[in-house]
Amino acid sequence: MEIIRVSDLVVGYGSIVVLRGLNFAIDKGRITVIIGESGSGKSTLLKTLIGLMPPLEGDVFIAGERVDFGSERDLMKLYRRIGVLYQNSALLNSLSLYANVALPIRIHHPDWPKKREDALVRTMLERVGLFGEDKYPFELSGGMRKRAALARAMILEPDLILCDEPSSGLDPITSAGLDNLLLELKTNHGVTFVAVTHELRSIARIADRVLVIRGETIYYDGEYADLAVSADPYIRTFFLREGDL
Amino acid sequence: MRLRDEVRRFFSLLTDEIFYTFQYLLRRRGILPGEIVHQLYSMGYRSFPIICLITFLIGVTISLTSVAQLRLFGADIYLADLIGIAMITELVPLMIGIMLAGKIGASITAEIATMKVMDEIDALTTMGIVPERFLMVPRIIAITLVVPLLVALADFVGIFGGVLVARLAVGMPPSAFLREVFTVLTLHDFAVGLVKSLVFGWTVVVAAGYKGFFIERGAEGVGKATTESVVLSIALIIGIDCVFAFVLY
Repeated sequence: MEIIRVSDLVVGYGSIVVLRGLNFAIDKGRITVIIGESGSGKSTLLKTLIGLMPPLEGDVFIAGERVDFGSERDLMKLYRRIGVLYQNSALLNSLSLYANVALPIRIHHPDWPKKREDALVRTMLERVGLFGEDKYPFELSGGMRKRAALARAMILEPDLILCDEPSSGLDPITSAGLDNLLLELKTNHGVTFVAVTHELRSIARIADRVLVIRGETIYYDGEYADLAVSADPYIRTFFLREGDL
Repeated sequence: MRLRDEVRRFFSLLTDEIFYTFQYLLRRRGILPGEIVHQLYSMGYRSFPIICLITFLIGVTISLTSVAQLRLFGADIYLADLIGIAMITELVPLMIGIMLAGKIGASITAEIATMKVMDEIDALTTMGIVPERFLMVPRIIAITLVVPLLVALADFVGIFGGVLVARLAVGMPPSAFLREVFTVLTLHDFAVGLVKSLVFGWTVVVAAGYKGFFIERGAEGVGKATTESVVLSIALIIGIDCVFAFVLY
């Protein structure tokens, strides 16, 4: 089942086109990784998918509904359906870990009883393996901040979680732990992820499907398992570090 | 960016903030519970000492400067009138505005600009939270509640500075000074001082938010935005004060 469908999408800044002719769909319960060289437009595409940058042309459909990026109502509907894990976690430093995770509840469901909020926050913290809810973000390690941000992104159980460089800035052990967490959330809780990343080891661990961006468009769209047998020299150089371009 | 675009963006934020504030007052949603109290503490409680000190020193300085001139004409008694009117209608609002710009405005800009650089503003947006409401409305409400208290305190302390100088330099008893002050001052003067201070307070918060939200990306942008916020606030305060002077006198 499709969560997102992108149709003839053109993204960019003002009159500058970064990516054009994008057509793809993201399926439920899978991890799709978007990769590409630095400056290829991955982040621009992510910003469009999360509603921070309207597309220049084309359409984005979430669960079959077209998103009108000019409509605040449609954007709010989009935001309710997605969660975002930012590269630097983007936790609010003035709030405790608990308050950060509870923030979407407190804003969107202020009428929820404290007990219900409490139970949900604790479940999410447990799910991402975090304790010490009274701590502040600046007291947490990079890996813990990412886990907390993931708990916050999942708190209202969105259809899809988009991750911007989830392993960025983490040591290999913490990075592997985060990858395992994403896999566990996908397998046991059916969470759908779209991740933009450069980390080949991380891609190897988590990716079900890979979208490679090159030359202002999607150069490769396929299963991760098929990459190893690809004869394309660019793909072999990018993933297998074989040959020169 | 062209000045016209900057002005348009500033007024766009200003109108948004007015809308969000009234919307919050009607619906009580969109900001964190307890945030207004937190802002009251950081804006009010932490500003009291410095505002007391500055307005007291201004009261003393203006009194000493004025008394030397008034004495030449044997008009020492008018020191009370001068201090009363100058402090209540002009100096207290202006000093409160400038102090708020330096203390609270700079802090608001630095906080919001850092949040912007750290993607926290984007994170709020993608959580379906309107950052301009979530971050600014508690501050606007807090400044609205804090300013009258600051004005009352600053009026008292400023006049106390005048009382002290009148007693020590002219030998005027405090009771005579205060009687003269309250003879010359009307309720209208206190209201003018209060309204001006409130307008300056709102100006500081909106200007600070504007510089914070529209920061150019990067850590160095935070420092630049903070400085610009203080300069913009003070320039706006003086400009608005000039408009008040034209309207009132």
